[in-house]
Amino acid sequence: MRRRPGIGGLQSAAVARDQYRLLGENVAKLRTDLMKEQLATFRSQLEDFARKHKNDIRKNPTFRSQFHEMCAKVGVDPLASNKGFWAELLGIGDFYYELGVQIVEICLATRPHNGGLINLQELCNLLRQRRKSNREAVSEDDCLRAISKLKVLGNGYEVISVGKKKLVRSVPTELNKDHNQILELAQAQGFVTVDEVERHLSWTSGRAIDVLDILLEEGLAMVDDGHRDRKRRYWFPCVSSISSSLGADS
Amino acid sequence: MMQKLGDFKLPAFFNYPPYFTLQPVRDTREKQIQLWKELILDYCRTQKVFLILLEEEFPLFSNPVIERSLNNEARETFLSALVSEGRAEWLDKGHRKCLILWHRIQDWADIILGFVKDNGLEDSVMTVEEIRLGIESRGTELHGMDRTILMRALKLLEHKGKVAIFKGTSADDEGVKFSV
Repeated sequence: MRRRPGIGGLQSAAVARDQYRLLGENVAKLRTDLMKEQLATFRSQLEDFARKHKNDIRKNPTFRSQFHEMCAKVGVDPLASNKGFWAELLGIGDFYYELGVQIVEICLATRPHNGGLINLQELCNLLRQRRKSNREAVSEDDCLRAISKLKVLGNGYEVISVGKKKLVRSVPTELNKDHNQILELAQAQGFVTVDEVERHLSWTSGRAIDVLDILLEEGLAMVDDGHRDRKRRYWFPCVSSISSSLGADS
Repeated sequence: MMQKLGDFKLPAFFNYPPYFTLQPVRDTREKQIQLWKELILDYCRTQKVFLILLEEEFPLFSNPVIERSLNNEARETFLSALVSEGRAEWLDKGHRKCLILWHRIQDWADIILGFVKDNGLEDSVMTVEEIRLGIESRGTELHGMDRTILMRALKLLEHKGKVAIFKGTSADDEGVKFSV
């Protein structure tokens, strides 16, 4: 716009600015309305979909996980509250609430053995054993969702990744990088020796022993002096599957 | 995989090597001791084992599958934990012989009283060996029970005035007169 001098020029420039803004607002509003409308359509279709596939969502864990993904994309959290449309329609809140309670029970029951750190896979197996009578299958994805809902209870329950595995932590222990590396190393055989830690992680033996001692103190490791080679082995119940039957009994 | 000793189902921890090493960290050791106590009592109850000799072979003291066995210190620790709860008694100062009481002496005494009532023996006389091995006790928990434990339970009942123990005709057996 070519600038004209004087009051008149300033005024007309201001008017033009206002008009531009108005136009811009209109366009934005139009867009928002359109998007709102699309979203509303999408939501109602999602609801129709949910209503139609209610049983699949309830019974088929793969289907359920895909449904959750879809919901997340549209900004719907079926687990946000136990009231309202989604919960009533699917009873899905109750399902995860129940899973959450059972997960807490399993974590408590196996804690004496594993120090409050359990393999996700194993937690799922225990959960399935416990829910034998229920017909609905439970996937690891369901476990993760239920655990994420447990976070509201405080910083107790958390999922951590160690190597390729996921572990569920039910005690407020902080695991640092050193701890994680040892847990990862232990996944191969269920145990490590000081020698192995030194060799694989290129640590000094002092560092290896310090970290292993901490893991012992935390109740995450147990020593085994019974092997023929007389070398002390540090076992980690959270990466072995031994606790499955332990937990099931109690 | 569930390992078995005869018809006895072994718990999962029995296959986990570190449970055969006495744990250095207190909390972990306490949990370990708890598991072993339960296992020993369970095993002895179902297999009717009354006496454990610390230095002898005992099926629970080693697991050939994982090539682990408890050393004497661990054995003594687990048994001592039972002793401190009244579920076992050392028979010697050196802690090498241990009497296992899956029923406490008091409970054994109650079982004897129940047996007396069930069989209408309220005013009868029996020998100690008859109680342990006779026809009357067949099918009851008393059958085949350890003589030392039986005598302890009878002495307790004597103390309460429910039985009188006396020397029998044969030198190696004693008689019991019930007065329930």
